[in-house]
Amino acid sequence: MSEIEHADAPAAEGTYARELEQALAQKTALLHEVDHRVKNNLQLIASLLQLQSRKIADEATRQTVRGILERVNAIGAVHRRLFQGGDVQRFDVSEFVRDLAGDLAAGARREDIQLKLDLEPAALPASQAAPLALVVNELIANALKHAFPGQPGLVSIIIARTPEGFDLTVQDDGVGMPPDGGRGFGLTIVQLLCQQLKAKLRIEDAAPGVRAVVSQPLERIV
Amino acid sequence: MSGDTLEVLIVEDEILLATELQFIVREVGLHDVGLAMSRDEAIELAKRLTPDLALVDVHLQDGPTGVEAARMIHEDCGGVVLFMTANVQRLPEDLAGACGVIGKPYSEEAVCRALAYLRVCMQEGRAPGPPPVGLTLSPEYVAHWGADLPMSA
Repeated sequence: MSEIEHADAPAAEGTYARELEQALAQKTALLHEVDHRVKNNLQLIASLLQLQSRKIADEATRQTVRGILERVNAIGAVHRRLFQGGDVQRFDVSEFVRDLAGDLAAGARREDIQLKLDLEPAALPASQAAPLALVVNELIANALKHAFPGQPGLVSIIIARTPEGFDLTVQDDGVGMPPDGGRGFGLTIVQLLCQQLKAKLRIEDAAPGVRAVVSQPLERIV
Repeated sequence: MSGDTLEVLIVEDEILLATELQFIVREVGLHDVGLAMSRDEAIELAKRLTPDLALVDVHLQDGPTGVEAARMIHEDCGGVVLFMTANVQRLPEDLAGACGVIGKPYSEEAVCRALAYLRVCMQEGRAPGPPPVGLTLSPEYVAHWGADLPMSA
């Protein structure tokens, strides 16, 4: 009797390990499948907005749709980068900003606006990636659209680590804030999302131009 | 190559994505010659049209057959292949002979930049510098076009 017990124990252990391996492989395959579908559906939404915007004659309406497209693209850029490295929990903010800033600058079709990037490495939990991406998108898009009406200029994007987390700065040397302080939908989005991210938002006169600083605290990564 | 432009075949089973890609291809001054939605269509069109460049998705109407289609287009039809896929990690290491890959979801700007860059690479036989953000070249094509070298004068 005791002999049989001895013989069975390692066999049972082997079966258990195989089952665990199979379950893990299934879970990984499922994650890939969902990741793939999310990316494809985001691409589909972007293509729909692109196709629609090509058909719109009214310039103001077209700009509104292009604005939505930019936001969808920002979320798309997040998903392109999630699950890319080995760590699925953390999101590389600096690499993302480099990627998105390039796209926005090219999309603005303004050869006379220079982009300067000074990005220290910074990471966020993956769950906060999309809201931060939308904030960055609004700040850069806002500078590109409003800071330089018919004049050249420079947009600087800086990420600097702080004891609490990091500061993300978007600064232009353009015409400055409108007299009403700017009350557009873009700024509303930025304010709401900073509240969600528990980030401090500071928008100030950079004389010349505007400086927006998002101070993002980092909770201890568990 | 017809004249000084490139002939482009699109291999993509999502028709809205394919339609938008056709717009982009024309916008950057390239010539879109056809659309295939399955492996067989892709191979048939590639043989008949001998495109200079094929934009190939991995998942087509008949399954994950884009890799096989890419290899055939590259080896049998002499076309340069660029993958456009949400499945970048699952491509074979040699990219099935493709010159590179653009990850989905891509932006219109990223595709425009990549196509403009590839056009120079293919017409001059060498890269004008490192590839733009959003485009990853295969090691073979990095060497072939000298894309790891500093900007040419």
